[in-house]
This record gives sequence, C-alpha cells and structure tokens, in this order.
Amino acid sequence: MKLQRARQPIREDGLLPLINIVFLLLIFFMVVGRLSAVDPFPIDPPASSSHAPAPADQDSLVALGPQGRLALDGIEMTEEDLLSALADRVGRRESVQVHIKADGAADAVMLVALMERLRQTGLTEVTLLAVTKAGL
Amino acid sequence: MPGTTDFSLSRPQRKTVISLTPLIDVVFILLVFFMLASSFLDWRSIQLSTPVLGDQAAAVPSETARLIEVRATGVVFDGAVLTDAALQERLSDIASTDLDQAFTIRPALDAPVQRLVFVLDQLQAAALTQITLIPGGAR
Repeated sequence: MKLQRARQPIREDGLLPLINIVFLLLIFFMVVGRLSAVDPFPIDPPASSSHAPAPADQDSLVALGPQGRLALDGIEMTEEDLLSALADRVGRRESVQVHIKADGAADAVMLVALMERLRQTGLTEVTLLAVTKAGL
Repeated sequence: MPGTTDFSLSRPQRKTVISLTPLIDVVFILLVFFMLASSFLDWRSIQLSTPVLGDQAAAVPSETARLIEVRATGVVFDGAVLTDAALQERLSDIASTDLDQAFTIRPALDAPVQRLVFVLDQLQAAALTQITLIPGGAR
C-alpha cells in the first residue's frame, strides 16, 4: 500500500514530456489550421498562380461539384433553388459577394453557364476560388 | 465543529496530487478534433465578371476583343491551335504592345475548370486584364 502511493507521482512525472508535446501540437493546430465548413460533396479546387488571397468573408459560397452538383453555403440544392435563393439575397441586401468553389475537373462550360445565370439574377462580379500550386 | 477539525487535521497530510490522466484525455480529444477539422489549403481568389446575356452580346466590342477558345489541351487563338507555351509567348507579345487589348474567353465542351483557370492565370501573368467570358458549347 505505501509502496504504491510512493510510486504513483513518479509515473505521472514521466508523462510530462508527452503532455508538453501534445499541448504544443494542440496549439499548433489551433493557430495554424483554419476551421471551415464541410462541403456536401468532395471538391478538388483548381490550382492557380493568382496572388490575390481568398476573401475572409465567405458570404455566399456556391459549390460546383465535378458532376455538376450545386450547393449554396453547404446545402446541396438544384440550380433553380440556388438562383432563386441568390436572387432573394440580391433583393434584400446591397452587396452580395458570391464566391464560387468549383472542382478543377468540373465542366468549364457548366461554370460559365452558371455565371451567366448569376448575371440574370443581377450579380455582375463573382470570385472564383482556387488553391496555390504545389511548389509555389 | 468536529467537521472543521477533521478537515484541518487532514490538510497537512495531503500527499496525493490531482491526477493528470483526465487532463491528458481532454487534451488528446481536443488535439484529434483540431487535427481532423482544420484545413491547411492556401486559398486564392480570381475576380471575374459574369458573362453578359446572350441578347446583349452585340453590345460588347467584339470586333476589337480577341477570342481565346480553351480546350482540354491547348487553346484556339486567332483561328490557330496553340500549345500553352505558344499562347504564353503570344500573350506577352500582345502585352508589350497593347495592355488594353480585350480578350473573350470561351471554354470548349471538353475543357475542365482547371484549364480555364490556367488560361486566366496566363492572362494575369501577362498583365492583361480586359477579360470577358462567354458561354461555350452552343455558340
């Protein structure tokens, strides 16, 4: 009984370096990583050498999947629903910034057709999101 | 009170430290959460104007704008099929004479978004900013 008592603090002292490392890793991931909403379907964004950083406010995020699946702010919907939801926002607010997160393998014709319909809802400017090229 | 006496008596002999194990458990769970939930992608943005509507297309100064058709491999520029390297050369030639040259970009039916972004990058690299997208396929 007495021996066990004496041994216990020593065992926990041995854990301290582990805890230090785990704390460091935790702080690293908290500070460096960015929490973002999960897309309803997998999107592999196109690589770009553009230097313009992505805007911080992800106000209206339109996702375009490789098979032409569409989502607005993380909710998958049909094109008609998406356009009417955006038209509703344009009617209510002064400036609506639409960001398009398109899959790199998606059809470019589809993307431009979507942008053309966004123009019909009154949006003249959109932002296409991309990631930096590997090695840049 | 006998209770307080008991406490004051038991105080001097507290040798047990608070166990670190629950703390480590919580920290591990937080660590796993942040490792799985955080993303390290370096996002960039490309500002684009939405294409003008079909019936207004005539209003665009299409006589001066030069058409680039983006294909899955290479592009069609000035009626000739060009490789990406040749396009880059042509664009830097144009940029050295006329930075205000307007371009119309039309994706071909088989072109993925990555190709479109690549051509937009090329134009941006040549400091050419007068870019209009037009819908591809039918026209």
